[in-house]
Amino acid sequence: MLGGAGSLLEGCGSAHPGTAGPLMSNGIPLPRPNNPVTWQVFKDNPAIKSGLAPERGATLRIFNWVAYLNPQVMKDFGKKFNCKVELTTFQNMDVAMAKLRSGQLNFDIFFPTIDVMGQLVEGKMIQPLNHSYIPNITQAWPDFQNPFYDRKWHYTVPYTIYTTGISWRKDHVPEDPYKMANPWAMPWQAKYKGRVAILDDARESISLGLMKNGIFNLNTTNAAQINAAGQSLQNLAHLTNMHIDNNDYTEIPSGQIWIHHAWSGDIAAAPAYMPKGVPVDVVGYWFPTDGKGPVGNDLITILRTAPNPVLAHHFMNYLLDLPNVLTNISFNGYMQPLTEITPQRLVKEQLLPPSLMSTAVLPSYFRRGVMELQIPVTANAIWEQAWLQAKSA
Amino acid sequence: MALAAPGIIWLAVLFLVPFYTILAIAGGYVNPVFGYPVAVWNPLHWSSVNLSSAMRDVVGSSAFVGPIIVRTLAYVAAASLLSLLIAYPAAYFVARFAGRRKGLFLVLLIAPFWISYMMRMLAWIGLLQTDGYVNKALMSLHLISQPVNWLGGLGPTVVLGLVYGYIPYLILVLYAGLDRIDPALIEAGRDLGLGRMRTFVRVTLPLSRQPIMAGLLVTVLPMLGDYFTNQLLSGTTGTTMLGNVIDSQLTTPGLQGEGAVFSMLFLLALIVPMIYYVVATNRSSRDAA
Amino acid sequence: MTATAAPARTAQAGAVTRTGLGRLRPRHNPWRHPWFLETFTWLYLIWSIVPVAIAVLFSFNNGKSQSVWQGFSWRWYFADPVNSVLHDPALHAAVVQTVRLSVYATLIAVPLGTAFALGINRWRGYTASTFNFVMILSFVIPELIFGVAMFFVFTSLFTNVGLGTVAETLALVTWNVSWPAIIVQARLVTIGRQYEEAAADLGANQWQIIRRVLTPLLTPAIFASAVLVFSSVVDDFVLVDLLNSNVGNTPMSVYIYSQQRGGNGGPALNALGTIMLVMSLVIVTIGYIGYRWLTRGERGGRLDALTTIAGEG
Repeated sequence: MLGGAGSLLEGCGSAHPGTAGPLMSNGIPLPRPNNPVTWQVFKDNPAIKSGLAPERGATLRIFNWVAYLNPQVMKDFGKKFNCKVELTTFQNMDVAMAKLRSGQLNFDIFFPTIDVMGQLVEGKMIQPLNHSYIPNITQAWPDFQNPFYDRKWHYTVPYTIYTTGISWRKDHVPEDPYKMANPWAMPWQAKYKGRVAILDDARESISLGLMKNGIFNLNTTNAAQINAAGQSLQNLAHLTNMHIDNNDYTEIPSGQIWIHHAWSGDIAAAPAYMPKGVPVDVVGYWFPTDGKGPVGNDLITILRTAPNPVLAHHFMNYLLDLPNVLTNISFNGYMQPLTEITPQRLVKEQLLPPSLMSTAVLPSYFRRGVMELQIPVTANAIWEQAWLQAKSA
Repeated sequence: MALAAPGIIWLAVLFLVPFYTILAIAGGYVNPVFGYPVAVWNPLHWSSVNLSSAMRDVVGSSAFVGPIIVRTLAYVAAASLLSLLIAYPAAYFVARFAGRRKGLFLVLLIAPFWISYMMRMLAWIGLLQTDGYVNKALMSLHLISQPVNWLGGLGPTVVLGLVYGYIPYLILVLYAGLDRIDPALIEAGRDLGLGRMRTFVRVTLPLSRQPIMAGLLVTVLPMLGDYFTNQLLSGTTGTTMLGNVIDSQLTTPGLQGEGAVFSMLFLLALIVPMIYYVVATNRSSRDAA
Repeated sequence: MTATAAPARTAQAGAVTRTGLGRLRPRHNPWRHPWFLETFTWLYLIWSIVPVAIAVLFSFNNGKSQSVWQGFSWRWYFADPVNSVLHDPALHAAVVQTVRLSVYATLIAVPLGTAFALGINRWRGYTASTFNFVMILSFVIPELIFGVAMFFVFTSLFTNVGLGTVAETLALVTWNVSWPAIIVQARLVTIGRQYEEAAADLGANQWQIIRRVLTPLLTPAIFASAVLVFSSVVDDFVLVDLLNSNVGNTPMSVYIYSQQRGGNGGPALNALGTIMLVMSLVIVTIGYIGYRWLTRGERGGRLDALTTIAGEG
């Protein structure tokens, strides 16, 4: 769950040395808010024709993160369109991309993060969309009909929006990150040994290290900064022997972990995972009040080799419709950028407890936040190497 | 002989060729656009990039694999020793003293061999939860006052997990070997006036050397490549084993070549014990003929 | 020597006394029953089996807890309309895939390994002993290394095969073909050459010998190795973890692992594990009964049958 959308700022700065003109990496453009990209539609990878009927007797195959799509939504779609819906899950984006590149896969729908858009488009792994099948786009925030990472939404529609922050158990951890000088350093406390966890995601966790060290360019290619962040994570390992997993949505409610580097939606879903008798207001979620933290959105795409492209388009449309979105949020907790979905609405529908309003994502966040976007392959190698070392400390 | 041909062809294509493929990936390069590894088949064109980054990770500027290798060896040594100390007496008892209940004991002894590894690990994960039975039992016996976070990244948990997981293989080999010892030899020792202990040391132990070696090999070699026990029972950085490093590298774009190098180095390190096992098996089967 | 079994205890004790080892107190009787060892063995067996029994028990728990019993229910097996093994498509697919892989792998590996053993047994020469060497080597290689090799082969070399059921089957067969090869070879060695030679003297040619003399003699070994391959594939994890591509070809072992790692553990996984356990036990029981029936009239009894189908001929 990595990526960033929205406008503006911060550290998209320096053009990659050795490239000319807009930000590029070996010929692939790198989208940035001040460097929007219109992806090319290739002749040998055209969109499907309009007006086709949905496939009959089909099985729609979805490739998505674990616990990220409500089975009820899938069942309802299957009933409405008279098809089977099958979900295959992955636990991190690297593994998902590796499998996509190397399998005889027959998925229809894939939920990537923004930073792998370049590979997906240039590698012709996803197909361009035929907008006539997706009228519900008008329910989404207007920004997303022309996002900087996919001008004219040739290939994607948005899925969820989220922030990355720090969640903690108020009943076990007396410190309040809202009052700390450097809240990003909250996990670095030896007294919580064995009770700390960070996300199993190279970009997110190295970014945690960067922000703790005061660097807010989360797309940096500066090896010294990246390695210093990796070193901070290794120190964290020695201090706290932290867990590395994406199970914040179960571990914070169960009390197994007391401080978890977390995604906003996972924590918003906490009420569903609290054990009996434990009130949900012991769970806290911190995101910087000045908005200088990772903000992002995930995408829905259709794979080029999709056996059921018409159904896939209908599914995208289905996920942009308000009632289905509300059902989905009740399961995974993540906001979706529909104009009708506001924090007040969520509280009213009892999808968000008032004590966790901090997990809500407002349009203004996208203008102030920092994003984790695609970086050149060589820089990515440095990030991955630092992450590997941190994981093995 | 024509009958062996299908087997030979199968092994050639699906056993020998894959190992050459690891070498080809290790000597290959990374696709600059997408980050996936490209194999280079001609040995003359092999690049040493992956090898040098692997070496750098072990002994060079970014060395971090060293402590992991040491930790893996320590865990495996502790787990094998513990397994041997537990398995030997049990196998010895069933082989020599079980009498009429031998069948019952044997079934119970071998049963875990057929219970899937995952199921056995699941069982322990359930018991080791903070509110699980292990903590409950220890607290009611007043051995601990607070529940222990067994799954929070403790080395002993991983070692015990390894013992639990691999001991059935060891017990089986030990049982088979101990069962083959001719009781007459032991009674001979007794008749010559040796007490129990000394009969054991002078007669039984030397005769069990071969099953112990075979059993240890069959246990230690797989244990060294284990990565899932640690993931299931701990999931923290403090207990990562070599298998975890290789597994991570395989699933990380750009580092798969290094993963291939590590796999080859790992294989080379184990070549001597593996060949020893093969030769010993060959020899013992020829002796039996 | 005077070696007789335990009932002659007191006589022996007396004999030793007579040879002058002094008064023998009960504690020093070398033939006494080893209570310590027996207790130790029972403790080991309890430690070994009880956790699994508890996990099986909690798969019938009418609730999500792994430590608080909330009543007996078939909920996780078929009663729960969303999360049970029968109704959850992913769990369902996992069971199907495990059975599918086990059957395919057994059907291919057993004939392949048996033929290999028959061929190698008579053939002296470098090719033969080299491949025999390779066959035994495939037995001790750490599975992770072999899995890595297979992963690269199917993603960089045989890319038209790719990851999936075919890749998984091919890898599993290669990994397990050493079981029938080694077991059948061991049995061939035990049988010896006399039957073949007698048949040859009576005028039978190679194929007739194999078909009418050796194969019936080898049936128990072939059968035992089939049991072994089947249960080994049910249990396999590393190879299929690296070679699966979607939920349709993810067997139970990998599904349990990824769900547990993903924090989604729970009694449904216990139910899945119990199903795996029952499957293995059924196969082993069939194997045991079948093996005993096939070897009726031969030396060796229940115990030999048990150890043979566990792989220690």
